Amino acid sequence: MSGSAHPGRRRYDVIVVGAGMAGSLVAKRLGDQGWRVLVLEAGTGTLDTWPGHLDALDTFASAVAKVPNSPYRPNAVAPSPDVLDVGGLPGGGYRAHGYLVQRGALPYNSDYLRASGGTGLHWLGLTPRMHPDDFTVRSRYGYGRDWPIGYDDLEAHYRAAERELGVAGDAAEQADAIGLPFPEDYVYPMREIPRSYLDDVLAARLDGHAVQEKPGSAHTTLRVVTTPHARNSTPHEDYDGGRGYRPVGAAGLPNYGERCVGNASCTPICPAQAKYTPLKTQAAWSRDVTLVTRAVVSRVLTTSGGRARGVEYQEYDDPAAPASVTRTAEADVVVLAAHAIENAKLLLVSQLATRSDQVGRNLMDHPVLLTWGLMNHPVGPFRGPGSTSGLEGFRTGAGRRTRAPFRIVIANWGWSWPAGSPGADVARLLGMGDDSAAPRGRGLFGAALREELGRGISRQFALQFEMEQEAEGRNRVTIDPLHRDLLGNPRPVVTYDLSDRVKRGMAAAKAVSDQIFGLLDAEDHTAYGPGPFAPGHFRFEGRDFVYQGAGHGAGTHVMGASRETSVVDQWQRCWDHPGLYAVGCGSMPSVGTANPSLTMAALALRSSERIHRELSELRRPLTVRTAHAPEVRP
Amino acid sequence: MTATGPLTGQTDPARHTDISAALAVVEEPPFRVPRDRAELHLFLQAALTLEHLTIPPYLTAMYTLPPGTNRPAHYAVRAVVLEEMLHMTLVANLLNATGGTPLVAHSRFVTGYPARLPFSRDKVPVALRHFGTKALDTFLYIERPEYVAEPPGHPSVADDDGWTSIGQFYNTIREGVIRLSRKLGEAELFHGDPARQVGPKDFYNSGGEVFAVTDLASALKALRVITEQGEGAAGGIHDTDDRLFGEVREVAHYFRFNEIRQERSYGPHDTPRSGPTGPAMDVAWQDTYPIDPEAKVAHYPPGSAVRRAADHFNEVYARLLVVLERGYTGDPAVLGAAVPVMLELRDLAEALYRNPHPDPAKRALGLHAAATYEITDRHFTLARDRLSEAPGATALPG
Repeated sequence: MSGSAHPGRRRYDVIVVGAGMAGSLVAKRLGDQGWRVLVLEAGTGTLDTWPGHLDALDTFASAVAKVPNSPYRPNAVAPSPDVLDVGGLPGGGYRAHGYLVQRGALPYNSDYLRASGGTGLHWLGLTPRMHPDDFTVRSRYGYGRDWPIGYDDLEAHYRAAERELGVAGDAAEQADAIGLPFPEDYVYPMREIPRSYLDDVLAARLDGHAVQEKPGSAHTTLRVVTTPHARNSTPHEDYDGGRGYRPVGAAGLPNYGERCVGNASCTPICPAQAKYTPLKTQAAWSRDVTLVTRAVVSRVLTTSGGRARGVEYQEYDDPAAPASVTRTAEADVVVLAAHAIENAKLLLVSQLATRSDQVGRNLMDHPVLLTWGLMNHPVGPFRGPGSTSGLEGFRTGAGRRTRAPFRIVIANWGWSWPAGSPGADVARLLGMGDDSAAPRGRGLFGAALREELGRGISRQFALQFEMEQEAEGRNRVTIDPLHRDLLGNPRPVVTYDLSDRVKRGMAAAKAVSDQIFGLLDAEDHTAYGPGPFAPGHFRFEGRDFVYQGAGHGAGTHVMGASRETSVVDQWQRCWDHPGLYAVGCGSMPSVGTANPSLTMAALALRSSERIHRELSELRRPLTVRTAHAPEVRP
Repeated sequence: MTATGPLTGQTDPARHTDISAALAVVEEPPFRVPRDRAELHLFLQAALTLEHLTIPPYLTAMYTLPPGTNRPAHYAVRAVVLEEMLHMTLVANLLNATGGTPLVAHSRFVTGYPARLPFSRDKVPVALRHFGTKALDTFLYIERPEYVAEPPGHPSVADDDGWTSIGQFYNTIREGVIRLSRKLGEAELFHGDPARQVGPKDFYNSGGEVFAVTDLASALKALRVITEQGEGAAGGIHDTDDRLFGEVREVAHYFRFNEIRQERSYGPHDTPRSGPTGPAMDVAWQDTYPIDPEAKVAHYPPGSAVRRAADHFNEVYARLLVVLERGYTGDPAVLGAAVPVMLELRDLAEALYRNPHPDPAKRALGLHAAATYEITDRHFTLARDRLSEAPGATALPG
C-alpha cells in the first residue's frame, strides 16, 4: 500500500501482538525489566480514559440487548465476534452472520473483543484456579490432552497472577472445599467478596445435602463456596508476609473504584472499575513499553532459518473506513497475545508452526447449561457481582471418566442470561410477545406494573453449569480466502460441535439441577427448545438442551511435550520458530472447569520469565579466548 | 510563607447577599493552644464538626447536577467529598488515639444551614447551594490557601485577635498535640484503645488512605493530610498524596474548585499565581437544578410527595451518621455499612432534586425541591431504633 519498502520500520526487543490481559501482563513484566516493548493492538484505545469509560457506560445503558460487547463501539476494520451474530432457527439449527464464519454442526456461541484491554474489559472477573486433576485428563481419565506441566509447576505463577490481577478470595475455603493446594498460610491479596443474600439462602437449604446424577450413582454432597474474584474487596492485612495489599483503582480517574460497590453489571462493564481490567496493568507499564492502537497485525515475519524477526501490520485511522498503511516492526521476540482464535488465524495466515498440523485445532470453550427458577421469597437479584459463590463438588472425581465435569455458578443477576430479564419481564407484562410484528396484547401499567415486576424479579435466580469441553481435533479454526474482512485479512472460519461426553455432562447437570430445585422448594422455569434465541439447541437421548458460550475460547495453539503433536512447548514457545511465542488460552491442552483467565495470566507471567532469559542470553557477550596450543611434552 | 493566591479576596463575602436568614453559628473552642487532654478533645471534636460542615454543601452541589451532566465537575466535587470523609475519619482516629470519644450522631454535630464559616475572620455564609458560581465561590473561600496566622500565644498574635483562619485552627491543634506529647509523654497522650482505630481495611480508601493514629508521628501525619489535601502543599497547587501514600499527585481542593470556577484545568507547571492555563474544562452552568439556598422541609406542603422525600432523606442522612458514630466509637468494621447508606442517599437525592419546588412562586423562578439537612434528635432516635432493619443492615458485622 505504501510506496516505500519499510516506512515505519523500528526495532524493539519484543513485539507483543494484542493489548488484552495476556499481552498487557507480558508487556508489563518485560518493560519492568528494561526491555523495549512494542504492543500492537488491532482495536481502538479510547477506554483507558475516563470519558471513554463513561461513553462505554452510556452505550451499554442505551443498548437494547445487554450482551458482553454492547458497551464497546463497533469497529468495522478490526471487527469482533458478537453473541448476537448467532441466531436459532424455528425448527432447530442455527444461522450465523458477522465476523466469524461458522461451519460446525453446532455454533461456537462465544465472543471476544478487539480493543485495548481486550476481552478482559467485559469478563466477569472470576478467578478460580484449575484443579490439579485438570492437567492430566488423558492419563487419569482417558480423554482430551494432558498438559506438559502440572499444578505444582504453575502454583507460584498462580500467586503472581493473583497479585497482578488483585484477587479477593478465601484460600482456606478453596483448599478445604475443592482440595486446591496452597502454600501454608497463603492468603489472597484481599478478603473474599462477601456472599450475596441468595448465596446465604442457598447455603442454608443445600449445604450438607447430597444429590445423585442418576439413580444408583454415587452421592455428591453440596456446599456453597465463595469464588475468588479479580475485584477489589477488603485488603487482607496478612497478605505478603504482613505487608498487606493496596487495591488498584480505576484506570483514567484517580482514587476511584478501590472497592466493589455491588453493581451487577460486571459483565460487560464495571461502572466503578473495581473489577480488574488489563487497562489497570497498562497504567502501570514502564516507559519502555510503547502501545500502538489501531494496528492490525497481518503477518508474522521470520528469517530464512525460521526465527521470528518481526511483524507486518496495518495501521488505520478511521475504524469505519477500509483504509490502512502497511508497516513492519522488528524485534528479537514476537509474542502473539491476540486471543485463541486470532492467534491461530495469524499463524495460519503466516503459514507458520505447521509441523504438528495442530494450529487452529482443539478449539474449546466452556459450554454453559443454564437452569432458572423462582424462589418462594425475594432473594435480591441484580445486587452484587454477577456471581459470588458456586457449588464445586462436580469439578472432578470418578464421574469424569464418562461425562464432562462441571462447575455450578450461582448467578446473582436473575434471569438476565437465560431470559433477558428484567427487560424481557417488562415487555411481557406490557403485553408484548416474541413477535414484534404482532399487535400488542393488554398490558399492565403504572403502579400495577411496578408491583408485578417487583413480585417476579425479586424471586429470580439462575444456576450456570459450566461444562469442561475436551480438546478435539475436529473443533477448529481455519481460514478461507473467500472470507475476508475490510482490510483484506481472512476472517476466522470455525467448525465446532459438542462431544457426547459434554452432552452427557449436561444431562447429569440437569439431573443435579432438578434435585437442587427440589431442595430449594423453587419453581423451575427452565425450558429448552429451538427458537430464535436458542442457537445452541440440540437433542440428546430424546431430550432437548440449549447451551450458551462462555467466551472462554482455548486450545488453538495447543501446548504439549512434543513438537510432533503440539504447537507450543511448556513456555508457550512455538516449537518450529525460535523467538515466537503464542500466549493465552490457546495454549491450554485442557480447560478444566475453572474460568480460564487466571490460568492464562499465570502462564503469561511464566512465559515472561522465559522471554527475559531468552533476551538476556541473546545479549550475553561471547568471550573469545586464545586457543591454547597443545602442550608439548619433552 | 505567604501563599497569596491571585484569587484570594476575590470571593467577597458581601456578594452573598441573597441569604436573608441569620447564619447558624458553630461553637468555636477558646482562642488558645489546648492546655490539657480535655481541651484537646474539645478542639478535635470541633475539627470533626468542621470537616463535616463542608459535606452537605458539597453534596448539594453534586446532587443538583442532573445525572450525566457536568461530568468533569461532578467527579471533581465527588473526589473532594471523599477526602472530607477521609479527614473526618482521621480526626476521629486522633480523638480515639488520645482517649476521646467522637460525637457524630447528635443534633449539635449537624449545623443548621446557612451557617457562618467558623474560624474565619470574615462572616462567610455557608449555604446549601446548587452547582453554580455562587456555590463554587463559597467552596473556594472554605478551602483557600491564605496567609495563616500563628497559633494563639505567638508574639505576632494578639490575645484578642480571635480565630482568623481554618489553617490557624489546625496549626493550633498541631501545636497542642506536640506540647501535650512533651508534657504528658507520648505513650501517655496516645493511650487510646488501638482497636478503635480505623485502618485501610475498614475505609474505602479513595484519595489518600486512612491509617491508624498511635503516636506523635502518625498524629502529625494525619494533620498534614487534612491541611495539604485542602490547600495544597508549600505554596503549590498539588496535594502530597504522592509523597504520603505513593498515589497519583492531585490538585488540592481549592485548586480543583478553581478549575471548575475558571472552566480551565491546571497544567503541570501552573502555580497558584499563574492560575489554570491548561485545557478548557467542560462546564455547563445551566445544567443544574436551581434550588432555594434556604430551603426547609416546612416549606413543602405537609403530606406532599416532596415533603415525604425530603423528610426521608434527612432520616437516611441521620442513619449515615449513626453508622459513622458506631464505626468511630465501637467496631471500625461497621463503616462498611455506611456504603449502602451513601448509595441510598444518592438515589434519594436523584428522586428529590428533579422535582419542581411545590411552592408556585418558587416554581415560577425555576427552583427545584432540595434536601435540607435538618437533622434533629428525633431523626437520630428513629435511626438508632430502626438500624437493624434498615436497608444495608446486612452489611453490619454480626
